[in-house]
Amino acid sequence: MARRRLGDISQYPDEQLSNLSAGDLLPLPHPCGRADNITPIKPLTEEQKRKYECSLDGVCAVGITKPWSKEEQDRLIESFLNGLRKLLSRENNWTFWQQLVLTLEACSRCQTCNDACPIYLASGKQEIYRPTYRAEVLRRLVNRYLKKGGRILPKLRGNDVELSWAAIARLAELAYRCTMCRRCASWCPLGVDNGLITHELRKLFSQEMGIAAKELHELGTVQQLKVGASTGITPKAFMGIVRFMEDEIEERTGKRIKIPVDKEGADILLVHNSGEYLSWLENPEAFAIIFEAAGLSWTLSSELGGYEATNYGVWYDDIQLARIALKQSEIARKLGVKKIVVGECGHSHKALIVIADRVFTEETYVPRESCLPLLEDLVCNRKLELDPSKNDFPVTLHDPCNIVRLMGIIEPQRKILRKICPQFREMEPHGVDNYCCGGGSGFAIMSAMNFPDWRAAIAGRMKLKQILDVFKDVIDPGVKKYVGAPCSNCKGQLRDLFSYYQVWEQCGLLYGGLVELIVNAMVDIKKPFIEWEWR
Amino acid sequence: MAGIAVLVFFYGSAVFCTIAGLMMIVRYIRAPLHLHWELYRGSSIYELPEWRTKQHPGFSTQLKAIIWDILSLREYYQRNRPFWYFLFSFHFGLYLLILWHVWLFVAAGTMPGAKPVWGIVWGHTATALVFVGSVGILTKRILNKDLRLYYPPIHYAKWVFVIVALAGGFYAVFFYFGGDSASVLAYVNHQLAFELESKLRAPGATSAHLLIVAPWLIYLPFSHIMKLFLRYYHQLRWDHKPNLTGSDVEKQVIELLNKRVSWSAPHIQSGQKWGEVAVSLPNKTEAGVD
Repeated sequence: MARRRLGDISQYPDEQLSNLSAGDLLPLPHPCGRADNITPIKPLTEEQKRKYECSLDGVCAVGITKPWSKEEQDRLIESFLNGLRKLLSRENNWTFWQQLVLTLEACSRCQTCNDACPIYLASGKQEIYRPTYRAEVLRRLVNRYLKKGGRILPKLRGNDVELSWAAIARLAELAYRCTMCRRCASWCPLGVDNGLITHELRKLFSQEMGIAAKELHELGTVQQLKVGASTGITPKAFMGIVRFMEDEIEERTGKRIKIPVDKEGADILLVHNSGEYLSWLENPEAFAIIFEAAGLSWTLSSELGGYEATNYGVWYDDIQLARIALKQSEIARKLGVKKIVVGECGHSHKALIVIADRVFTEETYVPRESCLPLLEDLVCNRKLELDPSKNDFPVTLHDPCNIVRLMGIIEPQRKILRKICPQFREMEPHGVDNYCCGGGSGFAIMSAMNFPDWRAAIAGRMKLKQILDVFKDVIDPGVKKYVGAPCSNCKGQLRDLFSYYQVWEQCGLLYGGLVELIVNAMVDIKKPFIEWEWR
Repeated sequence: MAGIAVLVFFYGSAVFCTIAGLMMIVRYIRAPLHLHWELYRGSSIYELPEWRTKQHPGFSTQLKAIIWDILSLREYYQRNRPFWYFLFSFHFGLYLLILWHVWLFVAAGTMPGAKPVWGIVWGHTATALVFVGSVGILTKRILNKDLRLYYPPIHYAKWVFVIVALAGGFYAVFFYFGGDSASVLAYVNHQLAFELESKLRAPGATSAHLLIVAPWLIYLPFSHIMKLFLRYYHQLRWDHKPNLTGSDVEKQVIELLNKRVSWSAPHIQSGQKWGEVAVSLPNKTEAGVD
């Protein structure tokens, strides 16, 4: 049975707090509603259930192995408490102390934020996904265990959540049921940021207990710092990809472009999410075509880490965030470029341009900018010769949370699309009120056990509904349609979401970046750059 | 006896409220510089090339938004209209009531013998607004499942205190002073005179009111509206200052990078300075990788 009381999180370690069933979920429009007839999330195997902590909702994102003894459990509980103390200390957590304290102290429990959360709504309002749920659990643990007199009259004062290994293990998983889109925070009249609570919980687990999603830590930031990219691309492999891109550009456009790599003193060091090089090569190719056509002074870097924009540290670990940002700035300074321009990658926009701004000093500082204002300038000030009729098909724009709500870049991408896509239409809501794709905060790359099912069935559900709604008048698969998503992780999520619901087959819907649309509209490129094929 | 209780509890709570309020403000002012983590309601300067060199919204723009937000609670109006009606009534009434008390002290010293009817109307209107708001909020908190959900039981007492305090104030003004502004001003004038005798022999009606207000004054520095003020004054919404070479921000960053890191996970070299840890790479074992 579903447990609703907050205190239940520390009780019943062998029961699931929540059981998800297809009937609870937010209904999807035609033609994807049919997929709800099946069980939305594949159950874990008995072996997985025996081995991993999964008593939150029967889903495993982090894969925490069950402690083997009572002593081990006690050690982990003590470690969690130590982490909690550090989280609340200005010395240990100067990076986010002020926002965290405000969030813990200022919530008036008005629940205004609930209706802002796409996961809570898509799940049919499961209590554990309420944006205030994990924050309230954390708040009560802090009040009870860290504040003087916290255990006096706990029920009356609302400090009645007890600390147990069950609560900690569930909190660790629960920290990976929120995409940190921070729509709830923008809804809160008091500035309470429940997305930050997710961030801080993940940080506590990573920085104190060494617990993090494998895809973010071991295969993410650690691999990036060691090998050069979170995708595992080495500098040597990167150079091979660049040569391949040059050949492919020639094949697709008839133009031979020499892609500048490690060009010292260039104006711009362009950095892409390395996922583009593996999955959507047409995106960095389109950037190269545009930058060359516009005559910009630019370069890519082949140095270890220089060809990778991602910074997964932003989602779970401040130290890893700083390490990667400083590595990126070091490479730019060595090349002597005037600035770093971040390609179509939402989280690295926020991480490198905004958040990491306060880890740089005179020795490490490099100016950083988004690619979108630059592209707007090229398109809207006629620095490229474009023919909008080449993009005469229905197009909508998915707003990556990190670029819009978390950074305030709203208009450049719209100005571009209005200029080059005659059938551009907006999803509702959009801009700063957008819904997350469901792949935010690292979800797009997380694929442990049955987590991909949860990501498609719950996290991405609201976005899919929005996309189907905006194209409902042209939903026939015979009409080819395009979702522009200027973010690599959003594209990864859309790819998985569309596959899960067979959206390409049923609706003729393709997703891709913004620059592909620009190149597709370029007058001197005869062959369509956008290939209407599912990949 | 009532007079001594008023002297101790009411004036004590007023002093506590002031000191605690100031301590809260100092606590936030002394908070360390944090990483950028703002949210945006629309276009920001990041839409512009060379954004670092552009001007951010000025203080007057921010101040206008702060005043409008706090007076109208417009975000509640936009996001949670059913709750806003009572919240607005409560808070707007409360501001009017606070201003009325300020006026009482000013008028008692500057308008001896005056009998302004509007002064009483002002007080009663403010009281009615706060009363409607607090009864409405309390009722919604009890009846609405979502609002009841995580609301600690002790918080209900806060609203009961407010309602009782309002009733006490209304009784004192309407019944004890007969709704006569001159009598109210004369009473306040005696309080201002710092005559210990008049304080020790304070009337029961006003003493009871002040004693009920006392716990509420103790709570005030910890209230949510106080957090709302702090939210704005402490740059959680408009913390746009870029970290430019030679700036104050850079100086603070340098200071923070000299702090010791004490997190215990294997990939963090605990004990070293932040700046050192951030440029060092963990080895395979330290990274927690098998």
